[in-house]
Amino acid sequence: MQDQLSALVERAAAEIPHICSRPEFEAAKAGFVGPKGELTGLMKQMGHVPKEEKPAVGKLINETKQQLLKILEAGLARIEAAELAAALGPAIDPTLPSPDPLPGARHPLTQVREELNAILRKVGFTVVEGPEVETEYYCFDALNTPPTHPARDPQDTFYFPADAKFSNVARKVAGEKYLLRTHTSSVQIRTMLKGEPPIRIVSPGRVYRRDTVDATHSANFHQLEGLYVDKNVTVKDLKALLDYVLKSLLGSDTQVRFRPHYFGYTEPSFEVDLSAKHLPKVNQEWVEIMGCGMVDPAVFEDVGYDASVWTGYAFGMGIERIAMMIYGIDDIRYFYQNDLRFLRQFA
Amino acid sequence: MKISRNWLQDYVDLTGLSDEEISAAITFLGFEVEGIESTGAPPLDKVVVGEVLSRAPHPNADRLSICDVAVGEASGGTKRIVCGAQNYQVGDRVPVALVGAVLSGDFTIKPSKIRGEASEGMMCSGKELQIGEDHSGLLILTARPEIGTPINDALPAGDVVFDIEITPNRPDCQSHLGVARELAAWFRRELTYPAMEVPAPAAPRPDLLKGLQVAHSEDCPLYTASVIAGVKVGPSPEWMQQRLAAVGVRPINNLVDIGNYVMLEYGQPMHAFDARKLAGPEIIVRRATAGETLVTLDEKTRTLTGEMLVIADAEKAVVVAGIMGGENSGVDESTVNLVLEVAVFQRFSVRATSRALGLSSDSSYRFERGIDAHALAEATHRAIGLILKYAGGTWCGPTLRVGSEEPWQREVTVNPAWVRARLGFEVTDEEQRSALEALDLLIVRENEIDEGIEWTVRIPSWRSDLDRPIDLVEEILRVHGTAKIPATTVTAPGLLADDDPVAQYNRNVAGYLVGQNFQECVTYTLRSRPEIEAWAGAEAAGPLSLENPFLEDQSHLRSSLVGGLLDALKLNQTRGNPVTRLFETGRVFIPQKEGVVECAAVGFVIAEAGMVTWKSRELADFYTTKRLIEVMADRAGVDLSRQPHLEDGGQAAAGWQAGQHTLQGDMRYGWSARYGMLDLAVLKSRDITGKVLAGVFAILPERLNAGGKRKRFQPFSLQPAALRDVALVVDEATAAGEVTKQVTKLARAAAKGFELESVDLFDVYRGKGLADGQKSLAYSLSFRAPDRTLNDKEVNEAFSILLEQIATKTDFEVRS
Repeated sequence: MQDQLSALVERAAAEIPHICSRPEFEAAKAGFVGPKGELTGLMKQMGHVPKEEKPAVGKLINETKQQLLKILEAGLARIEAAELAAALGPAIDPTLPSPDPLPGARHPLTQVREELNAILRKVGFTVVEGPEVETEYYCFDALNTPPTHPARDPQDTFYFPADAKFSNVARKVAGEKYLLRTHTSSVQIRTMLKGEPPIRIVSPGRVYRRDTVDATHSANFHQLEGLYVDKNVTVKDLKALLDYVLKSLLGSDTQVRFRPHYFGYTEPSFEVDLSAKHLPKVNQEWVEIMGCGMVDPAVFEDVGYDASVWTGYAFGMGIERIAMMIYGIDDIRYFYQNDLRFLRQFA
Repeated sequence: MKISRNWLQDYVDLTGLSDEEISAAITFLGFEVEGIESTGAPPLDKVVVGEVLSRAPHPNADRLSICDVAVGEASGGTKRIVCGAQNYQVGDRVPVALVGAVLSGDFTIKPSKIRGEASEGMMCSGKELQIGEDHSGLLILTARPEIGTPINDALPAGDVVFDIEITPNRPDCQSHLGVARELAAWFRRELTYPAMEVPAPAAPRPDLLKGLQVAHSEDCPLYTASVIAGVKVGPSPEWMQQRLAAVGVRPINNLVDIGNYVMLEYGQPMHAFDARKLAGPEIIVRRATAGETLVTLDEKTRTLTGEMLVIADAEKAVVVAGIMGGENSGVDESTVNLVLEVAVFQRFSVRATSRALGLSSDSSYRFERGIDAHALAEATHRAIGLILKYAGGTWCGPTLRVGSEEPWQREVTVNPAWVRARLGFEVTDEEQRSALEALDLLIVRENEIDEGIEWTVRIPSWRSDLDRPIDLVEEILRVHGTAKIPATTVTAPGLLADDDPVAQYNRNVAGYLVGQNFQECVTYTLRSRPEIEAWAGAEAAGPLSLENPFLEDQSHLRSSLVGGLLDALKLNQTRGNPVTRLFETGRVFIPQKEGVVECAAVGFVIAEAGMVTWKSRELADFYTTKRLIEVMADRAGVDLSRQPHLEDGGQAAAGWQAGQHTLQGDMRYGWSARYGMLDLAVLKSRDITGKVLAGVFAILPERLNAGGKRKRFQPFSLQPAALRDVALVVDEATAAGEVTKQVTKLARAAAKGFELESVDLFDVYRGKGLADGQKSLAYSLSFRAPDRTLNDKEVNEAFSILLEQIATKTDFEVRS
């Protein structure tokens, strides 16, 4: 009996360390200590052991069981460690690049537009949208641009044939044509026709000019125009706003100046020049950046506002032009080619 | 327009002002200065007038001479100079650059030895002094200025030419007088008009001109013609030629030059006929007959239409009115008797003709913008005076005249306190008055009113753009100076408005897609006809077509964002940039029965073919696009899970791969979503490599509703769920959605006293164990009660009812 027990422990000590998988281990465990295992078999022989030997044999069997369990425990720990190692896979190399795709990013034109929107939102301007296909009324007539004005010439503006139909834009009157808007001022007209002052809106969006494409011209480009209508709005307020906007965008060393100019829908009208020491090209001289002015009373009359009560200002700028200036981009076509080596620079 | 400083000096004294100061003044008066060009000699130190005293051949060079040149006592008396020029003689006076002089900016004269002979200076050509292009020999100073005179004092003064942009509201500034008037106002200096030297006219010459006929006074409100007999054609005076050349007008002869000169002085175009070339002594202003031709002065044959206005004699058209004269009637070297036309043509008539003929001129440019008819008589007298002075002849009879200028009297009433309120800062009454009067806007009356005083301002005829009090605010501010607008902080009471839903939506989906590693693109709205036909079908091209495209490949509105994104994909593939995920938000235009609708849209493409990384990742497929589109629709308030799929796998839309894409929604209901794989043949035709997945969600802007309803909390059960799995064998053609729908319906009915919480499809199996044309769909059903733990018995009961119902009520076979 004693020999059998010690042989069992020896065999377990020899076999268990070579077992590598859990099923084999479970089978071996059952073979040694399971209900049908060898140890159980030997324990059943206890009946044949003389009474006086029983305590000693019982003790021996217990010791054997403890030894076997210890061997099995060690074996299980080893297998678990191996399983864990297999589950983890090989060690990582932290210097390998991630195979996952590069992050996405917004287009630089979107970034500049959103930055301007955010700057203007702080002083109460909210974004309005309007259609890119417009009627002549919204794009020109309502903006004090007479039918004979050169801007309306088919040489400069894209028109649709007389029988073109756009069902969710605006109804056109006889003789009128649909066109692609040449500025987002049409959205300002729509806003004024829809509601009552006070109004403080910004209308960013895509506009179209029938122009030769080159480094600074594109068949479509983007504008951001603002409109403020309230009582007692002054030229000084307009200057204060544009000082704020351009300094916020370009930094506090930005200088802004107004030059008198002419636009059909503002009076007085100005072109705005800026200079900023830290920007290339703009650090040496004044650079024209946008147009603005006080809303012409004729525009108010046209949308049914009492021009003796309401006053306001409007301004407009090209988003591409601003983006080119702040990023130092020299060709407008980069924006539309979407070369990732270009786009990712602004991610 | 080019404006000469010397010329301005005739009307306003600019002495003591630098070119920069004048340029700044023009700028702040509201005219952009696009360029400043200097003519004449630059300041030249140590260059003096010298006289050649002797000239001897150089011993070592045939073409060189050795001269003694007197340069004046102050410069050292006589210099020995080696010279290569041939065009001078002993006794000529010439410019001499002494040792130390710097020519052309960087060429310093030093004592030197030329072929062994010492030379102490250089005699100069015009080019070397930067006053002309002539390099053929020395500049001989024929006026023989004093020896030793600094050369700048001996040469005619240079000029400075400002190239300025005249805004369309200021036709009065298309002339030197107009610009001088503005500068006089800015610098508060006197404006001087040209002196008139016109004798009384001699007896008329009806043999040369006896009548005018204007058939279309609406296009020609005023026509005048003056006869000057016995002129002598020759060059115009040197000063006039210099001024014309300075502003870019080529001098031709005295008659033509005077016409141009007075146009550039007053802004009034004029035209001179040779009386001999007119058939009969009568001038007729009429419309051209359709098809009538005229060879204009630029030697091109112009074919005219019945709308165009011409000046004609009894037989033929001689001028395209207001634009350009004909070769058949202009003055030339042999002209003796002259008819001078000075007229007003209607702006839009001139512009229409100019555009139609593709012909513009200094004259048409001015008529198109409008001229001051009230200055016509003065300009005519100025021209007659100059002709008599510089070409001789006699002014015969009074000027013939048909039509009239509109009588001019305009007054605008303005209140200086109101002006201050518009400006928002202090500009005193006196400052305002001063600004107005500097512009000849005279205050003719002053009335006391409740709010202070009110001025009545007289508007001169050349300022027809000034009509309302607000116009005077601009004039006051201009002359007062925009630089004086004070800096201040923004005051902005809140308006409590939200951004437009379209702007919010674009921002929202762009944020989502960027988070999914998409790169935003911006592509052109205008596309080519073949592209529209490829993506939207041939019938869509018509409604999307522009009337006047500029480029052939940008002739139609886009109906989808995919075309532009494929351009971006291709460009990056071609340039070897690893490119996978691109998107764009923007407007698209979708033809519908009632007309084209303009939609807000977001579109994306995914191209993963050829992407190589050291560790492979699972590739995107149709179901990737499905999730993306679901989110894009959800953010627009559209629940795609409830929407039928309108195109089955077999029916491909243009541009999309058959069986690999789907369409949900319809623009008739305000939105549509199309997604899946693009047509491989179309991609191949565009040279794009590999499979491309895409999706476009379009929605009417008016359907987007920012914010939406506030969400309400729904209580949920805290009890454990009971799960049961079931696999169903169905025909391959049966859509999973249909099976799910039925299973859900039956399971819900089977669960009595508790709830079916969810039905999740977790496996789709084809192959071993299944017949061809069959697939197995495995579902996990989750049951739950709000208030208790379910026991096995009730769940098993419900589940067996479900299995029985599936067996009896559906074609699906429960897979065991």
